[in-house]
Amino acid sequence: MAHAEHAAAPAILQEVNPAVLPRAVLVANNRSFSWITEKICGIIEGKTPAWWWIFFGVAVFVASFTVAGITYLIATGVGVWGHANPVNWAWDIVNFVFWIGIGHAGTLISAILCLLRQKWRTSINRSAEAMTIFAVVCAAIFPVFHVGRVWYAWYLFPIPNSNVIWQNFRSPLEWDVFAVSTYGTVSVLFWYVGLLPDLATLRDRFYAAGDKFRSFLYGLFAMGWRGSNRHWSNYEMAYMILAGISTPLVLSVHTIVSFDFAVSLLPGWHTTIFPPYFVAGAIFSGFGMVLTLMLPLRAVYHLEDLITQYHIDCMCKITLATGTIVGYAYAMEFFIAWYSANPYEGFTFINRAFGPYAWAYWIMITCNVLTPQFFWSRRVRQNTTLVWVLSIFVNVGMWFERFVIIVTSLARDFLPSSWGYYSPSIVEIFTFFGTFGVFSTLFLLFIRFLPIMPMAELKAVTPQADVHGGSDHH
Amino acid sequence: MSTTAATASAAALPVESSTATLAGKALTIGLVGLALTAIGLFVSGAQIVATSYLVGITYWVAIAIGLLLLVLIHHITDASWSVVIRRQWEHALSAFTWLAVLFLPLLILAWMKPGLIWPWMDLGHEIHGGGTVGADVLYQKKSGFLSLKMFTGATLIFFGTWIWLSARLRQASFAQDADGDAKWTHKNRVTSALGIPLTALTLSFAAIYWVKSLEYHWFSTMYGVWFFTNCMRGGLSVGIIMMMWLLNRGDYKGGVYNANHLHCISTLAFAFTVFWAYITFSQYFLIWNANVPEETFWYNLREVNADGTPNQWKYVGIIAILFGHFFVPFLLMLSYRFKTTPHIIRRIALWILAVILVDLCYNILPALKDAHGDPQPFFSITLVWVLTSVIGIGGVCAWSYLKSFPTTKLIPIRDPRVVESLTHHE
Repeated sequence: MAHAEHAAAPAILQEVNPAVLPRAVLVANNRSFSWITEKICGIIEGKTPAWWWIFFGVAVFVASFTVAGITYLIATGVGVWGHANPVNWAWDIVNFVFWIGIGHAGTLISAILCLLRQKWRTSINRSAEAMTIFAVVCAAIFPVFHVGRVWYAWYLFPIPNSNVIWQNFRSPLEWDVFAVSTYGTVSVLFWYVGLLPDLATLRDRFYAAGDKFRSFLYGLFAMGWRGSNRHWSNYEMAYMILAGISTPLVLSVHTIVSFDFAVSLLPGWHTTIFPPYFVAGAIFSGFGMVLTLMLPLRAVYHLEDLITQYHIDCMCKITLATGTIVGYAYAMEFFIAWYSANPYEGFTFINRAFGPYAWAYWIMITCNVLTPQFFWSRRVRQNTTLVWVLSIFVNVGMWFERFVIIVTSLARDFLPSSWGYYSPSIVEIFTFFGTFGVFSTLFLLFIRFLPIMPMAELKAVTPQADVHGGSDHH
Repeated sequence: MSTTAATASAAALPVESSTATLAGKALTIGLVGLALTAIGLFVSGAQIVATSYLVGITYWVAIAIGLLLLVLIHHITDASWSVVIRRQWEHALSAFTWLAVLFLPLLILAWMKPGLIWPWMDLGHEIHGGGTVGADVLYQKKSGFLSLKMFTGATLIFFGTWIWLSARLRQASFAQDADGDAKWTHKNRVTSALGIPLTALTLSFAAIYWVKSLEYHWFSTMYGVWFFTNCMRGGLSVGIIMMMWLLNRGDYKGGVYNANHLHCISTLAFAFTVFWAYITFSQYFLIWNANVPEETFWYNLREVNADGTPNQWKYVGIIAILFGHFFVPFLLMLSYRFKTTPHIIRRIALWILAVILVDLCYNILPALKDAHGDPQPFFSITLVWVLTSVIGIGGVCAWSYLKSFPTTKLIPIRDPRVVESLTHHE
């Protein structure tokens, strides 16, 4: 597309006189390339800090609750969960959707913000991608063990004519199997491709330091990366293709998750806005978790020059935007439940707000709709402790959203004589509580052994890397 | 960019200092279109012409909302690539006032002859299957919302909101040309932060009142989002056509335009093509899959007649909506070359504008029913009044744009991101 307009010198540049409004820098304090390398590699090369061991120990201990929960379930049967008529689906699917949703911010930051050329993503994309993968691992626990006899979980996959039983391909639950497994695979690939140059950097540094073993290990996974032009060219192409694949994939995953409910006839589940509403909610919850993880990491490793106030502002604003979209969906659902004049739909929403689970509904509204509104205030966004606390509210709120949708519709459906009240069993509580340990364990291992930020990409957004010499010429 | 650059010269102005002739032609075409539509009242009757006119006004309002959203999103995201074309979107926003004026005939008609367009406005209106609207329990339940006074008040609020937001955005942007003060950028960001939720709500309820309530039994939570996607696609397509028009006229000389600008706006048009398909498919799929008569009747009307034979709308749905609205632009815009070749992308944009019109016809015109309760066919005299309405209202919108066009610089020469935009590259 070598248009003449493109090739021509932009003569009009001599005629414009822009107002002065500098853009925020993405790497503060004019840090050099070597400073970035030292900072990120230093986290891995340095001695394991005492706090890491303490947190790791606690995380493994918490994870053991999941192990205990599922061991008891395998030994006894799915009946150990609190499901009973009419609520035959509760914390298992709530927790599955909760964790899958959290993963979405990672892909949004990696893929969608990449396609939108949002350079601020570079400081947070690596950790967010890691978070995605670990969240998918946690999510997978619930449907896999919900099948009861977990050793038959392979029945989920369409292995031709196994026992002459075919899966129900009309069920969105089966689509989930494909969507989530594809999503997990592509997320790992995306993450891994991004890691290649940084793994090679670590390989070379360990080699120079005489640590042959670690040099070998990082070298093995760096797949012979040498940083040549051809490598970079292929890398950029692969990254862009994966971003292009991941974008529809991430939307499809939560869309299919929303179909799990929306294809049914149950009031409160069957509503057409579910697909985009679930996707917006997933991104909202994911950004909540990114803030929850990144802010402590920023403080502990003194990464203020790499995760600047501008980054926090951006994350808060996306949380505000997606939280408000979720609020729009809640309002529209409520309105259409009334507008439809369908007594069952109307009852379901009144029941959500004022029925036995009203406490959960109002926690959801408070955390998901009201809490993000604080991010309108610059002063709030600049108070990292407050932002962190609010991000926890977002996480809590999004768990409650799934609980409210799933449990309230089931607990009081068409037949009042069969209404009930669901409470989780201790086994469910153990299993869910433990997943935070599983997630934390994996994340702690990640920050200890892998570069938490993409060094090569970070360097590319420094003023030094600007081909115009760091002036405000674009 | 050095802040000591020369003060903007006349070269940043449009090539022709005046577009008065063109504006005059547009107004003439618009008035002729409106006059022909008025003649239609004597040919086809008020109901058919008014419903056709509703298609026309909704179409241009949707496009104007799309352009409003583009300006709002531009400011809230501190975008740079779009600075050089944003001014054209701002000029187009001047049409909102005229769109409000052009909506008045429908409001007047609604008060003079309630139930002519929206059946629920007439409590004595006989509904298909027997009984009247007033005796219909489904109407009674939602009568607090579906009342003529509420409809009128809401419509005035919709237009008031859009006109107010447009005026603020235009005023601040134009003022910055004069004094180069960054405060105008900040002001527009505040307007955008307020404007996006306000526009989201108003466009959603405009879609519910003006279009969805034509079949007041029917409901879908997705409807506002569906309308939003058409607004965005319409706004982006008109944005592309404006760019190509200026390019052909020679306004974009001296490096104002480069192919990357076209690539950006075309890629957004591609993204919203996919998003439109996602939303439209999701709505259809969930209703089809659940197969609940209180929802499916809306699609059934657009597929089969009461006697079970397929009607024209079925083929409109398959050919124009599924293939025309999605597959054709989707497949074409996968190509980088097509997205960045002016004469190709212009045709794709025109195509999208045409299928948006068909989509609105698909949503609105089946409200016109015959004695059996079957929708009037797509290919009928109604289509003529749709086209005259679209040309008439479009002519007035084009006139409004062209009238605003010569009053400011071609590009916001003192926008803080203008240099980034002029040197935009991948």
